[in-house]
Amino acid sequence: MIPAIILATLRQRFTSPMRLVILVAAVWISLIPVLVSPGSGFAMIGDCYFLALALAAGMIGEDVSSGTLQLLLARPVTRRQYVFSKWVAVAGGTSLVVVAQLLLAALVIALRGASVSWGGAALLLANDVLLAFGISAVMSLLSALVPGLGDLGLLFLAFLSTQVLGGLGSLKSWGALERATQELQRVLKPELNVWPLLHGDPASPAAVASYLSTVTLCLALAVMVMNRKELSYVSAGG
Amino acid sequence: MDGIRIESLSKTFRAGQVRALDGVSLEIAPGEVFGIIGPNGAGKTTLLGCLLGFLRPDAGHVSIDGHEPDDLAVRAVSGYLPERLTLDRWMTGRHFLAYHHALARLPAPGRAEAAQAALTRVGLDAEAGARPIRRYSRGMLQRLGLAQALLGEPRYVFLDEPASGVDPAGVVLFRRLLGEVKTRGATVVLNSHQLDQVERVCDRVAFVKQGRVEAMETLHAGATMARVLRVRSPAGAIGGIVTRETLEQAAARAGAELREVAPPLARFAVADDAGAARLVGALVAAGVPVAEVTPEEGRLERLFLEGEPAGGPS
Repeated sequence: MIPAIILATLRQRFTSPMRLVILVAAVWISLIPVLVSPGSGFAMIGDCYFLALALAAGMIGEDVSSGTLQLLLARPVTRRQYVFSKWVAVAGGTSLVVVAQLLLAALVIALRGASVSWGGAALLLANDVLLAFGISAVMSLLSALVPGLGDLGLLFLAFLSTQVLGGLGSLKSWGALERATQELQRVLKPELNVWPLLHGDPASPAAVASYLSTVTLCLALAVMVMNRKELSYVSAGG
Repeated sequence: MDGIRIESLSKTFRAGQVRALDGVSLEIAPGEVFGIIGPNGAGKTTLLGCLLGFLRPDAGHVSIDGHEPDDLAVRAVSGYLPERLTLDRWMTGRHFLAYHHALARLPAPGRAEAAQAALTRVGLDAEAGARPIRRYSRGMLQRLGLAQALLGEPRYVFLDEPASGVDPAGVVLFRRLLGEVKTRGATVVLNSHQLDQVERVCDRVAFVKQGRVEAMETLHAGATMARVLRVRSPAGAIGGIVTRETLEQAAARAGAELREVAPPLARFAVADDAGAARLVGALVAAGVPVAEVTPEEGRLERLFLEGEPAGGPS
């Protein structure tokens, strides 16, 4: 991994006015349920899915479409290092926003006179960090496939397809199709639920393996796509 | 050091429908300034793309110092300025240079100073360095791009239309920087349409057309007498009452060179437009009756035009 790429990506993402508006809006909206019902604690805060998408969208595709990738890869940087650096930057950035979100939520809960469950906060943070790294891995693959913000379009299409196929499977009672679409949905949103740890139950080895294999597969495919990509503004021999 | 070796390089696009490079073979010696010229669509940028490892050739091979072009050992000693310069617009100029300084794996201590020095080197002041790149003019972008290409004094410098959109002062600066790069022994590959610049700075030039190297020219690198003027006098003057000695003396006074006397014409080499004006003044002052002065196209211009189809560049 290249620290310069990680830092530059973080700076780029957190100085984009549009992304900042989306992030601030998403954090404030997530705090409304906490404000209304502080006694419910952190459980009322949703996961960081949309935060991660806001930061991850176009993570590679924007560099490809803008042409900055060409200059970057003329430097002693492998494409694998580039993909991994982007992944860590986006997932790390999302995790930082989640920390800020949880601190704000804790402040709201405390100000409303309810007790703050730091154990719950830690588990929510762990859940969200794992989700952030999972979503970022998926987005790195989609972003390597299409330029610009096309990764969001691909993700939307993939979700829509799984919904339609899942509905069809349910309607026709095709169990295999239902299971396949559920698996696909899990791939599109790789997460590892650590809430059972609150009750002393360990995470299921199958769930851990599924999460790790999805993340690894997405990153490996993203690197493969990038390694096969030719970089040029010449398409016809200029 | 082996320099750059290109062997039978071929590259097609659109599933083989467009042949961009067709069996190109070249050798570029270490320390050489090598120019690539040719009409639009000739394959120049594709060739540069293969040299940089951005494009995978269909056939043939490129090696730089005996390594593959995308080898990190090559990239660590290379600088690149693309033709269509798209920089990270949200960064400031100084931040951009510091970023590329880090990407080039140059030592972190003194990075800020190195970025500032690189800005100064291309004539951008501290205020410009603190400005976001999105507010840069085309010429400033090109200077910044050149500054990043020269970070860390690379051994190989690949420049794609480096003086494009640059003002005359920038062109002079570009030429001076290229002179410095050459003096320290770096190898430069220059792709440019500005034939007069290529003629001034390059040791050798390849004329590429339809994906092939049609001709190679060895130039006198760093030639100061880049333009040739034809001076015509009324019949009986040059070669008659105006002697060769008179013409030589007038040329010397104007800082020009007499190349040839072929009555009623005389051919002179001058450095630039100002040199041409001085020459005409010196000839008139020497009593030479000047009927007409016409610039003669340079060697590369002749090469270019002779190699062109009747319709001109595509």
